[in-house]
Amino acid sequence: MRVITVCSLEQSYGSLKAVDGVSFEIPRGQTLGLLGPNGAGKSTTIHALIGLLKPDRGEVRVMGGDPWHAETRRSIGIAPQSLSLYEELTGYENLSFFARTFGLSGGRLRDRVGWSLKFAGLEDRARHRVDTYSGGMKRRLNIAVALVHQPSVLLLDEPTVGVDPQSRNHIFESIAELKNEGLTILYTTHYMEEAARLCDRIAIMDRGKLLALDSVAALIRQHGCASQIVAEIESTPSDVQLPGQLIEGRIQFACDRPLEEVARLSALGVQFQSLQIKGPDLESVFLMLTGRSLRD
Amino acid sequence: MHVVHLALKDLKLLFRNRMAAFFILGFPVMMGLFFGMMMSGMSSGKRGKMEIAVIDQDNSRISARFIEALRKNENINVIADELEHAKESVRKAQRTGLLVIPNGFGETAGFMWELQPEIELGMDPSRSAEGAMLQGFIMQATGELIGERFNHPQDFLPHISKAKEALMTSNTDNLLMKQVGGAFFDSLSHMIESADKWQRQAGTNPDNQPTSMHFANVKSLDISRHIDPSSAEAQTKKIRTRWDISFPQAMLWGVLGSIAGFSASIARERTSGTLVRLQSSPLSRMHIMLGKALACFLAVILVISVMLVIGLFLGMRPTSFTKLAAASGCTAICFVGIMLTISVLGKTEQGVEGVGWSINMVMAMLGGCMIPVMFMPAVFQKLSVFSPIRWSILSIEGAIWRDFSWSELALPFTIMLVVGIVGFGIGTSILVRRTTV
Ligand SMILES: Nc1ncnc2c1ncn2[C@@H]1O[C@H](COP(=O)(O)OP(=O)(O)O)[C@@H](O)[C@H]1O
Ligand SMILES: [Mg+2]
Repeated sequence: MRVITVCSLEQSYGSLKAVDGVSFEIPRGQTLGLLGPNGAGKSTTIHALIGLLKPDRGEVRVMGGDPWHAETRRSIGIAPQSLSLYEELTGYENLSFFARTFGLSGGRLRDRVGWSLKFAGLEDRARHRVDTYSGGMKRRLNIAVALVHQPSVLLLDEPTVGVDPQSRNHIFESIAELKNEGLTILYTTHYMEEAARLCDRIAIMDRGKLLALDSVAALIRQHGCASQIVAEIESTPSDVQLPGQLIEGRIQFACDRPLEEVARLSALGVQFQSLQIKGPDLESVFLMLTGRSLRD
Repeated sequence: MHVVHLALKDLKLLFRNRMAAFFILGFPVMMGLFFGMMMSGMSSGKRGKMEIAVIDQDNSRISARFIEALRKNENINVIADELEHAKESVRKAQRTGLLVIPNGFGETAGFMWELQPEIELGMDPSRSAEGAMLQGFIMQATGELIGERFNHPQDFLPHISKAKEALMTSNTDNLLMKQVGGAFFDSLSHMIESADKWQRQAGTNPDNQPTSMHFANVKSLDISRHIDPSSAEAQTKKIRTRWDISFPQAMLWGVLGSIAGFSASIARERTSGTLVRLQSSPLSRMHIMLGKALACFLAVILVISVMLVIGLFLGMRPTSFTKLAAASGCTAICFVGIMLTISVLGKTEQGVEGVGWSINMVMAMLGGCMIPVMFMPAVFQKLSVFSPIRWSILSIEGAIWRDFSWSELALPFTIMLVVGIVGFGIGTSILVRRTTV
């Protein structure tokens, strides 16, 4: 069953076409990564999925329903890109308020709020105001609020922006756990390592368009170019021509068979101080597809 | 999810924001106390005695007893006077009013079954509120006369024999009634005579007689001192405490603080991203707006109630709590509408706050939050009709000290309700239609 269906979605802000004919589907229990630089149209796509925007063209379906209708939204949990919390309320108050907006009350409300606090690792800070939390704690709470009503679809819009490494790890682990429990997740990010680590499939998006959609391995197979060799050279025989330019004793170049190339250079008498071989990754896939780096 | 939960969340947020809480409660209380203390020079906190000129045209034992009863009343200063001089002094506002005890007053006053002598009462028209109070005092004094009559039962005798004569000479054919009636009056006379004798023997103190009957016939005497009822002098005469003017003003400052806080709160939900969450929940946009409206309504009612409690503590006494409740409700509806309209005039918190306070200040100045409308120059008094605050203050004052009737309250109530409904319509229709977040 397709939990999320986006079909030829077009969404404009005035004359700016933020999303331009995007289509994808997410089957139940899968995690899809929406990878693209800032301004690609990821958040706009998510806003269409929660019924915040009405599509100009095309359609979106969540659990078979139109998110414009209130009932459809019951099954969606969203952690917006910008922290969406009441800073003057405590963590507990935020969770129980948003749980109520989904109709929870009584014992179930208490159970779910307790679960969410545990999920966010905020049990001992539950009664403190959010404006006393660290950036990482707020991020964790932002995700916990998305889960408090036990949705079947989770939309995470750049959940790790501005987070310290420790919190980022916590967030990764908890999302991986949710994934294992069978939650369907849409995960947008402009960090390719995150996408590669968590997602079953990855959609690469740029300037409103979906450029490719597949598993990481397939994407690299199709669009990834050569491996990269980065080496510090100690000495080179004078008659040997290096395959790249030597800058301050360092050389970087691409090649299809890196190990053979290293063996060849070594046989010619090139002495390496350090050697690094990078296989093709999403970064290079993105570079191939757009001609730009992800982190422009 | 109940709209109530949305509203409670907003109230919690509002009162956790110290600045907003200050503008809603702290600042208004300060303004109320400050202006109230300034007001003490204008209208004395403790009302002086009513200076009443009394013209006794009867000069009987009963009229003297009546005047004595009036003198005992702490609220009245009785000054014996001549009619013309008394009228003149009331016209010149030297006396609060005058009272004419007509010739023949002593003959029937205090006999409840007789046509009561007409006491003429003339009041300074600007103090007609006290006139009503004086009428009450006259009733009291007459009540004492009734007691006085019972202290001197023999006074009844001529009346009884007159009544018996009237019955006997009446042209009724009913002989039985005449006989029974005659016998009744005879025995009544007899009883009174013996009671009187018994009372003298026992030496009962006539002053201890309890009085409970109140009956008098008061006729208004027109004192043609013309005072424009819209003048500040005429209006302030009804003021009873120095807080009467400053507290309605203070209530409105609190109302303005509430609407400033709430109109910015919609923008704050937008900038803080919580609006995205609310809109992605199953709540409809109308639902979200109703939550805001209810929260603002409750905040306004709360502010007015807190001011009222402080006012009551200081001695302010509303003439009608029902009317005050109605005025507060209309005020809340009116300003909720204004709040919703202001909230769509900007997209950021700062933007809305800026626009909101400018609108608030204009409404406040024109509407009498700083200088009461009645003390304003004529031009500004005319302009003030465009400020909803004027109508709100007027209705609240109407319930606290102006002693407005429901029909006098109808105009300000209608204006406020219309402003509220129109504002609600404008605000919600724009907010609900806004598609971008
Ligand atoms: N509310 C808005 N009004 C106008 N333009 C917007 C708005 N939101 C986003 N945009 C524009 O739409 C494009 C896509 O934005 P967005 O979906 O937020 O990208 P991403 O989430 O991938 O960074 C950007 O060029 C952005 O400037
Ligand atoms: Mg984004």
